[in-house]
Amino acid sequence: MNLSYRAYYVWKRNLTAYKRFLLPTLLVSLGEPFFYLLALGLGLGAYMGNLFGGAAYVNFLASGLVASSCMMTATFECLYDSFVRMVHEKIYGSLIVTPISAEDVVAGDIAWGAFRGIISGFLMYGVAVLIGALPLSLPVIFGLLGVMALTGLLFGSLSMIVTSFAPNFDFFNYYTQLIISPLFFFSGVFFPLDKFPGWLRLIAKFSPLTHAVSVSRQLFAGRFSGHLYLNLLAIILPMLAAFCLALFFMKRRLIK
Amino acid sequence: MPSIVTARNLVKKFGDFTAVDGISFEIRTGECFGFLGPNGAGKTTTIRMIHCVSPRSGGELTVLGRPASVDNREIKRLIGVVPQEINLDADLTVRENLSLYAEFYDLKRRPAAARIAELLDFVELKGKINNQIAELSTGMKRRLQIARALVNQPQLIIADEPTTGLDPQARRLIWQRLRELKGRGATIILTTQYMEEAEQLCDRLVVMSRGKIIDFGSPDELKKKHDRPNLEEVYLKLTGHGLQEEAAE
Repeated sequence: MNLSYRAYYVWKRNLTAYKRFLLPTLLVSLGEPFFYLLALGLGLGAYMGNLFGGAAYVNFLASGLVASSCMMTATFECLYDSFVRMVHEKIYGSLIVTPISAEDVVAGDIAWGAFRGIISGFLMYGVAVLIGALPLSLPVIFGLLGVMALTGLLFGSLSMIVTSFAPNFDFFNYYTQLIISPLFFFSGVFFPLDKFPGWLRLIAKFSPLTHAVSVSRQLFAGRFSGHLYLNLLAIILPMLAAFCLALFFMKRRLIK
Repeated sequence: MPSIVTARNLVKKFGDFTAVDGISFEIRTGECFGFLGPNGAGKTTTIRMIHCVSPRSGGELTVLGRPASVDNREIKRLIGVVPQEINLDADLTVRENLSLYAEFYDLKRRPAAARIAELLDFVELKGKINNQIAELSTGMKRRLQIARALVNQPQLIIADEPTTGLDPQARRLIWQRLRELKGRGATIILTTQYMEEAEQLCDRLVVMSRGKIIDFGSPDELKKKHDRPNLEEVYLKLTGHGLQEEAAE
């Protein structure tokens, strides 16, 4: 594997290109957290009372959405945006003629997807703090940064694998509809998993998002279960595997 | 003169298709060396192996004294590539396109800024430094790609059909710049399907067809050897048909 610090240059290239759209993109990205927290958290939550360990539903929901919005943003960045950079804008091709290797390009782009995911997760957190759904806390911020970096790298890498096989945009629907949507709904973001039938609970356990959501909830509760290290391993191990596979398959596509 | 690129029985296959079929050539330091041939002759495939973004399927290839291999940073660092397609970064300004590229070669910010000013002057784009790529004409984009390829002060410049799609005036401006580079001692590899371009710029060239080298020499030698007034006629004689015909097949 031919990976070097030059992956940082790829990340920086994306940041330089993104700067121009920073403000409009951030404003637009604020919309979704607001809608989720208002409609589901406050709207639906009003019918739930204090079912969630004495806390309001909006609190439960917000601490889960922080993790899932990181997943969503990293996923879409490394599907559509990476595909555009590779195929339409031919950016990857212009990078690999310099000392930047194919692996550097892919790793830098995955890191960029993770970075966008982290921003998105923190936007959700910020909105939740604004409407009083979650407390503002420095230790929590550092903890979230860590778990979101891992989650972003995992889902960025998974998407990059899909992108390495994609002939066009339509191909991404299989992955988003068949994998990402179920993960979003069945990983404990919207409701606790303990009332699920046993087989669904088993499947949910294999979703890395379930574990990211769990770590996020533990951070906000300030209480850590004895399974914290298992939660982290359930994100880190698939992340490492997906990252290596993404580099391998992308290199196969770029270097012919 | 020492050689800068040496190929022996170089082969490139894509599955069952042989794109480059056992070619041998030697490029000398300081010359402009041409690959002449129609689309699909194997020119771009050959130079992609030279600048280390495509693995060879067989034979030997030495570039700047090192065996060429995919992602060989030692070689890539010393080469500047002007690609056939326009692949400037459309999300960035002219300045950002060059300054980021300079950073890719680990150039420090200040010397890079001086180099960029000098290069934009050279390709006559000084006034466009803060423009978006979309605001440039095709000729300007091609010139900017030349400037970008020179950022790292390469020992070897590879220009892959650098004037395709340009009007005669824009084409002449590019020729002028390439000739000036050669005057300063640069080694240039040029691929082209234009006979006039090859005659104007190349010291020596190989004529390629279907992955093979069918003849080589200086433009004058080739014309004399085949007793033809220009390279186009030489090519017709060599292949039995014109460049455009083969490209259409």
